Amino acid sequence: MTPIWSGLAIGAVYALVAIGYNIVYVAYTTFNFAHAQLMMFGVFVTYWATVVADLPIWLTFLACGAAVGLIALIEEFIAIRPVKGAHAHLVTTLGAATLLDGITRLIWGDQVLKVPPVIGSSSTITLLGGRISIVELVLIIAIIVITGLITLYSRRSLTGLALLAMAEDRDAALLRGINVKRLALGAFVFAGVLAGITGPLVGPKTFAVATLGSALALKGFVAVAIGGFGSMPGALIGGFVVGLVESLSGRWLGSDFPTIMVFVVLLLILLLKPTGLFGSTRERVV
Amino acid sequence: MTTIVQGLRRIPSWVLPLALGILLIAAPWLGISADTRRLLVLSCILALVTSGLSLSFGYAGELALGQTAMYATGAYLTGYLAMHWVNDLLLLVVVSAVAALVVGMISGIPGLRLGGWSLAMTSFFLVLLVPQIIDLLEKYTGGAVGLVGIPQPKLFGQPLSTVTFYVVVAVITVVWFTVMRNLVTSRHGIAFQVLRQSPVLASSLGISVFRLKLTAYALGAIPAGIAGALFAYVDKYLSPSTFGFTMAVTVLAAAILGGAKSVYGALIGALIMQYGPLRSTDFAQYAQVIYGVFLIVAGTLVANGLAGLANRAIKLLKARWDPQQPASAGGDPDQSAGESSGLTKRPVLPQLPGDRLQIEGLAKRFGGLQALGGVSLTAEPGQITALIGPNGSGKTTLLNMVCGYYRTDDGTIHIGDTDITGAKTHQVARAGVARTFQTPLFPEDISVHEAVAAGMYTPRYVGMLSSILRLPRYWRTVRADRAETTAVLRLVGVDHLADAEAASLPLGTRRLLEVARALVCRPKVLLLDEVASGLDEDEIERLAELIRAIRAAGTTVVLVEHNFKLVLELADTIRVLAQGELIASGTPAEIENHPRVLSDYLGVRQEGMQ
Repeated sequence: MTPIWSGLAIGAVYALVAIGYNIVYVAYTTFNFAHAQLMMFGVFVTYWATVVADLPIWLTFLACGAAVGLIALIEEFIAIRPVKGAHAHLVTTLGAATLLDGITRLIWGDQVLKVPPVIGSSSTITLLGGRISIVELVLIIAIIVITGLITLYSRRSLTGLALLAMAEDRDAALLRGINVKRLALGAFVFAGVLAGITGPLVGPKTFAVATLGSALALKGFVAVAIGGFGSMPGALIGGFVVGLVESLSGRWLGSDFPTIMVFVVLLLILLLKPTGLFGSTRERVV
Repeated sequence: MTTIVQGLRRIPSWVLPLALGILLIAAPWLGISADTRRLLVLSCILALVTSGLSLSFGYAGELALGQTAMYATGAYLTGYLAMHWVNDLLLLVVVSAVAALVVGMISGIPGLRLGGWSLAMTSFFLVLLVPQIIDLLEKYTGGAVGLVGIPQPKLFGQPLSTVTFYVVVAVITVVWFTVMRNLVTSRHGIAFQVLRQSPVLASSLGISVFRLKLTAYALGAIPAGIAGALFAYVDKYLSPSTFGFTMAVTVLAAAILGGAKSVYGALIGALIMQYGPLRSTDFAQYAQVIYGVFLIVAGTLVANGLAGLANRAIKLLKARWDPQQPASAGGDPDQSAGESSGLTKRPVLPQLPGDRLQIEGLAKRFGGLQALGGVSLTAEPGQITALIGPNGSGKTTLLNMVCGYYRTDDGTIHIGDTDITGAKTHQVARAGVARTFQTPLFPEDISVHEAVAAGMYTPRYVGMLSSILRLPRYWRTVRADRAETTAVLRLVGVDHLADAEAASLPLGTRRLLEVARALVCRPKVLLLDEVASGLDEDEIERLAELIRAIRAAGTTVVLVEHNFKLVLELADTIRVLAQGELIASGTPAEIENHPRVLSDYLGVRQEGMQ
């Protein structure tokens, strides 16, 4: 049971990345390569707030949300807004991701920095026959709650419906009086803030390291591929699946295998069910 | 000055690259230092990897960063085999290229099914796996320590000095770029561009989008594998850190810098990267920041890289110094008027025997909307069958189902005796169905001649090998292509625009070009989707003549059209759709007075009809 708990905990982090991808996907029908880097930045800000500045809990969350939200805002203006089309965005957001990686490395260096728990503690408890630390448990519960809230919001609130309308047909939404640009920007910044405020939850599990971004980016993408583009519950389940595959293959096959097995899962999903478990096919229109 | 420019223009475009290539090979005898030689070797190697990316990203339009993994495959394979099996440079280059091709195929197939992000991510993932796989195969690769002890390269049993090794690298580079140039200047290059800009168009021309993308991606693996083989001999030492994500981004930066959609851009980009940033030791620290900024700036501003800028400069210079040759032939009304007078002669087509299109009980539902509710109709060869009906009556849906863009819920479609129900778009095209689109589809930067010739890509396919080696078969088809497109362009009356950019022409001309493109496919069934909309009286007249000529040639013509007068004038039989049902069917005379057509389609009461 212990590897299952740890798989779910790391899976929660991947699910969070996947949710970030999905929010931007719904708002722009494009892919923000740099989202995982935003999350990494949140983790580093948490490190700074807790270890260096020793801020109180509420201020730590505030600092993380504000800092990463601001970076997301800047990213939208320099890397998303000036270009059109998912293909061009791949290049520019990859650029943003690389840039954030580089900046992180310049500021904090290459070593692995331990992030102390902000909520809960690193002491472990025994749950259903496996051991899990309090921070991990908090992380798993938080992700489930966040996914639930976002799903509810997107289906019930007017803003959420407007977002869905926008994802379906941007021009039609525009004609319906939806301020597409502002709404999309709002969603983008929200994704950034979310990446920021979850930093204190994620940090103790992943630690702060400059290679975190690219590792999370790929696992998050696999989570989206499993769950289907745009589906929030799909992202959650996809994230947990990736986490479990990783932790169980590490347990049974050896430490070289987790990433390779996740890659195999990705290839299988793309071959067998390219739309993901919860995605739907859209027919091409001439 | 004008005469000089004209003189320069007469020199074939391959002379300059060839001269530079010879210069590159002969460089050691021109007194370059050992440092420069090493830099040139590294530039050649980077250029090879980069050109692989150009092929898939620039030409086939798929961002794939996997070349680094193939490069690593080539390098480690060569290193290991040279130490333990046989040390022959040429043999190992071939082995590495094949191995890279295999890796490319395996990693490309799953990602390419969805394209776009999927391929980018799977290939990116592949790069991230490289160090782990190297670690896993520690016995063969030396793991994190690196592969040490690669011997001096040998060629046919002769050890190579650093100078001769340089020459071999330069020759291989020149050969590869020749291959690449021959490939992209052939019809395959045009097919790649069509594919990149409009997969919809590509498949309607019978091109299998998946297969061609996979081909481009897999072909791009070959130079990466070759580069890896050469790299193994450069330092005779391989370290896993060489093949990381930074390498992948370096390759992407070099490709974008040089211009991904150009043959030689990769060389320019690689040369600049090697001479500039990669040489400085401080660079490593700031590499990611610089690359990041560069990718954002390049992605937003310089879409076609340095090669694109150079091309634009050349165009401007041409327009400045060579006024006889208009750089973009959009206008020129006098000439076109003069030519079109030749069209008063009736266009005559060679025989194009058609086949009957038979549709039985075709049904299609989009969510809650029944777009087509069991429509049956036939279109006979040598006849024009018009399909009319109000907006949303299912005309275009029907065409799209025939073409295989939509899945069929129920019913069957036959061309002659061939069942094409549920066939993919490119298979339908190969079965002899050609079509035009409501909005004419023409990729940018492609001349009229090339755009029309794209229609022949599948019907008269020339293999890549013949194109690369420029075999007699290639030259034969080039001549045949030219003759046939010229004939068809003359037929539609736009032959004087053969070298203009197709996408920049006015709508009327583009519609005629679409018909021309459909004709060179030599279709059995020709589907014309609102081909007359947006045309003026003269253009409609010209088009009507053309459609009659196509009927006379024996083809089955299906005309979806809103211009009721034109339909009455042209059609042999008319089928009327309304709300997904066939409500009337008959000759023009019958339809003209059919009560339901008048009320449902024309929206007139009996007395309102003139």
